[in-house]
Amino acid sequence: MSESSPAVTEAVGLRTHPLTGVVQGTLWAAAAVFGLFSSMFSGEGLNGINPVLTGFILLFSGLLIGMGVGFLTWRFTRYVIDGTELRINSGIITKSSRRIPYERIQSVDIAEPLVARIFGLAELRIEMAGGKNSRTSLRFLKLDDAGALRRVLLDRTHGRTTADEAPDEQRSIITVVPPMRIIIGTLLSLDFLFAALGTVGVLIAALWFGNVIAFIGGIIPLASWLVQIVGQRVIQQWDFTLSRGERGLRIERGLLSRTSQTIPYDRVQGIAIKEPLVWRRLGWQRLEVDVAGYASQGSESEGNNANSTLLPISDAPLANAIIAELLPGADPAIGNRTYASPRSWWFAPIGFRYRWVAANAATFVASEGWIQRTTSIVPHHKTQSVELSQGPLQRRLGLATVEVHSPKGPVDADGRNLPADAARATMLAQLDRAREARS
Amino acid sequence: MDPLFEPVVGEWKRNSPRLATVRRILTLVFSAVFLVAGIALALLLPDDLRWIGAIVAAVALAGAVWGWIWSGRNQRSWGYAENADDLLVTSGVMFKRLVAIPYGRMQFVDVEAGPLARAYGIATVTLHTASPETAADVPGLPADQATALRNRLTELGESHGAGV
Repeated sequence: MSESSPAVTEAVGLRTHPLTGVVQGTLWAAAAVFGLFSSMFSGEGLNGINPVLTGFILLFSGLLIGMGVGFLTWRFTRYVIDGTELRINSGIITKSSRRIPYERIQSVDIAEPLVARIFGLAELRIEMAGGKNSRTSLRFLKLDDAGALRRVLLDRTHGRTTADEAPDEQRSIITVVPPMRIIIGTLLSLDFLFAALGTVGVLIAALWFGNVIAFIGGIIPLASWLVQIVGQRVIQQWDFTLSRGERGLRIERGLLSRTSQTIPYDRVQGIAIKEPLVWRRLGWQRLEVDVAGYASQGSESEGNNANSTLLPISDAPLANAIIAELLPGADPAIGNRTYASPRSWWFAPIGFRYRWVAANAATFVASEGWIQRTTSIVPHHKTQSVELSQGPLQRRLGLATVEVHSPKGPVDADGRNLPADAARATMLAQLDRAREARS
Repeated sequence: MDPLFEPVVGEWKRNSPRLATVRRILTLVFSAVFLVAGIALALLLPDDLRWIGAIVAAVALAGAVWGWIWSGRNQRSWGYAENADDLLVTSGVMFKRLVAIPYGRMQFVDVEAGPLARAYGIATVTLHTASPETAADVPGLPADQATALRNRLTELGESHGAGV
């Protein structure tokens, strides 16, 4: 059964693509085998097990169970689009119905995991603000259907009830980041250098001393760190294309699994500019963006999420142009800064000189870090809350910390160890500015 | 009171001293378990290892004393104030903090009370925004006050409502 027009409204609802079960099964089988290998390499309880045989058994059982469960799940899942909300009814034994009011949608993304790409299918991801289960996925739709459904949802999100055929949006490409540039940037980033040097060092040491146990213990974390960095920075950001539509920016990226993200202009909660040590000399920076719901996925650490990358590598003029587009009135080179007090050198002997906060009419800016400088920009009207805090040591030195909270993500606008009275003044001023910006 | 953590206008509304009572009961129960274990160890172990039991018992007693004092001081440090546009919450003795949450940024408000807290008629009100860093909870409010605060905050949140 294939859907001709996803905007059809029926009481019964629509089903996703019949091949969902196959794709799901393959994904689960892959996960099972991957789990086996990772536990094998970390040397946990695989004494006397034939890894190849176990791998095959896992692969087949994963495929079988996955496809079975996938098929049943698919059979019992239907979605309905009506005037006010998207409803997804699922559940084989316990029925569940999830309702997504259009006005709460933060972003709609299309992901194509490698296996799904082979079948020409895609997953539609709908992010809502807040909470752990803020992401809703529709797996899997035909790529064209997913695109059409995304258009419909984004139209409704912005309060337009279009006819069932939404016209294709006019898009203009802002920039394409060539993979070469991303590779060079990654090679020049400190954490990559550390991981690579560490790996090489452990290899040499292991060969020199011929100590296998120490070698295994050292190489595993370093190599997996290396793989993670390359995966997140290079493979996931391959062919990074940033384009502009009438409602938001569109990001398309990925080598094996393609992802296509839409960031509506009015859903940007903040932007972080990251400038690693070596990049600073070359005038390069990375932009990351806070969108409610993006970072609450999985166990990924703050700001280490490929989802929240707005520009993997860029020079200052382009980055500033994009910041200005998303946060009108933002100014990373803002004046009138409140610096951390020199009395705070106890806490950060070098870093205290690089900590400052400032605000203009539109945004609050906080910057810190001298190895990797991070400048966080939060628009006033997105200020979630403001906190002033002071520990016993800070009290003795007359310091206090002020934090402007934004939804979970790479943006962390904290002014640490400011002079106490300045911190309090900053907090009160920020509350006033936030109130004016909201009204 | 530290002038740095004074509310912008008005006075802090305080929570109920019964919070300290509840926390003290929990501390004492917890310490008692360790104390009994320590005494049992002291009686059962051979002579040259009795000191282990004595140490466990001593730590349990010290914990009980510290918990008793901490409960009182911490309870007295809590306060909240409702401004025209924001809710302010303060707490902490050593590590003081002051959080301000604009009403329009609230996603939802929780009222929670465990069995012991219910027996003493107190509850915890927690505000949630779209940011997980917003730690805005007011523990130990008398139950009726907690419900009233929740209703007021919900109304204010709706009237000041701003989308995420």
